[in-house]
Amino acid sequence: MTVIDILFRVDEICKKYEKYDPEKQRELNAFCDDAFSRLYALMEADIDKALHKSEMVSVEKNRAAAVALSAEVRRIKARLIEELPKLQKLAKKKVKGISKEDQETRLDLVLALPERIKAIPDGCTTAAFQTGGWGASSSNKNIKFDSSEERLDSDFFQQTEESNQFREEYEMRKMKQDEGLDMISEGLETLKNIALDMNEEIDRQVPLMDEIDSKVDKATSDIKRTNVKLKKTITEMRSSRNFCIDIILLCVILGIASYLYK
Amino acid sequence: MSSSDPNKLISKADKLTKLSLTRWSTDWKSATLLYEQAANGFRVARDYENAKLAFEKASKGQEMQSSPWDAAKHMESAAALAKELRNWTEVIDFYRRASELYMQCNRPQPASDSLAKGARALEDALPDDAIQLYTDACVILEEDDKEQMAFDLYRAATSIYVKLEKYTDAATFLLRLGLAADKCNARNSQCKAYLSAIIVYLYAHDLKQAEKCYNDCSQIDAFLRSDQNRCASKLLSAYTEGDVEEIKRVAQSSTISNLDNVIIKLARKLPTGDVSVFKADATKDEQEALDENDLT
Repeated sequence: MTVIDILFRVDEICKKYEKYDPEKQRELNAFCDDAFSRLYALMEADIDKALHKSEMVSVEKNRAAAVALSAEVRRIKARLIEELPKLQKLAKKKVKGISKEDQETRLDLVLALPERIKAIPDGCTTAAFQTGGWGASSSNKNIKFDSSEERLDSDFFQQTEESNQFREEYEMRKMKQDEGLDMISEGLETLKNIALDMNEEIDRQVPLMDEIDSKVDKATSDIKRTNVKLKKTITEMRSSRNFCIDIILLCVILGIASYLYK
Repeated sequence: MSSSDPNKLISKADKLTKLSLTRWSTDWKSATLLYEQAANGFRVARDYENAKLAFEKASKGQEMQSSPWDAAKHMESAAALAKELRNWTEVIDFYRRASELYMQCNRPQPASDSLAKGARALEDALPDDAIQLYTDACVILEEDDKEQMAFDLYRAATSIYVKLEKYTDAATFLLRLGLAADKCNARNSQCKAYLSAIIVYLYAHDLKQAEKCYNDCSQIDAFLRSDQNRCASKLLSAYTEGDVEEIKRVAQSSTISNLDNVIIKLARKLPTGDVSVFKADATKDEQEALDENDLT
């Protein structure tokens, strides 16, 4: 017979003789018994789940998954601690059908619960990475406020070495970024001031340019007018008519001179 | 060309201008020409005294010829030579005369320029007169609606006041600068002027005045919205808290480093005196206020 067959057979037999199983009976009884037992059973189940998850954390290679699992474990623990006072109240209540010894055992169980809950490893003691250099983790490993019933948020923020590392790296990078941004802002401020001054200077020069413009226009028109007049005068002086008149008069004078000297 | 002997030219020109029996009218035209040549000759020969005289006479000649522009130009040259000779009263007179002549030509810009030149020449020797000249120059420009040009003059006058350690006057001038800037919508210059005024008051260790000034300036919208406003409020709060480190830090900020050089120097030297006095005053005021409340 193979192992699997054996297993199946064992299962069958167990199922058949279930009613003789004391633990299971207790469980079934508990469910139909009273509020305390029900709640207690639920809490036990949660504790088992948390233990199981913490075991997976210690095996888990992926850091992110490990962190997520530890966070879940922590959440479960917090919830359990939250429900502890309810359980205590139920335990103190007198329920009919329960013997005195049972009552006392219930109280004992309830008292034992908180320690069991705290004992669940939630990743703060097991470090997947042993980083010797980051000594800071030892001092603020467990930022635990008084773990009274009110302060259950502290469990959420328990530090692991890894998360410390993350946080420190994050802070360093943020600081460097801030420094860089500061320098950029300084440069930009200087640029802005220079630009504003330039703006004003240019505004100052605009009316000057307008004046220059009009003055130069006037000068150009003056020069054009003068040029035209000059051209007219020159053409008049050099006109061919005057030239012919000059030659004729010259001939006349020569004629008169030759007449006089003849 | 008579570059040979300017003296001869001058005597010749003088003869042309003097009325006598043989001469019934003065010949300013040629005289002026001769005067100019003589003046140039003297200047080249570095005979500043004579050159100055020659320029004066040339200017007069131009005036007689009804060309105030040339007259003013010659006056300016004469004044520059007087500056070389360190004859300060003459410098003032000449520059003023030149500016008047420019105004006759209806050119306020060169008029104020000549006054500014005079003021700059007198800055070291006669600072009060220099300030007077700067003020007059600014007035001329403002009348002509050219306040933008006046900014430099205001700043120069302020620096003279600071040198003379007349801080209230300096601050007043800066506020006038702010007013001029407001008129021509130069918001940046305006805010810088107000911040500079506050710094000057603080340098004079007069916190009350500085705060009053700050309150006045806060009424102005443009200042309220500006970087300079924030810087001023930081500075004043640092003063009231008596925090020397904070004052020094604010003085190093880029807003202040963008102001005029003179003001930057003042700001770097802040705080003058004891800031804790202000702090004590501030707390005393608060306590007094509380007492009043108790009584009522």
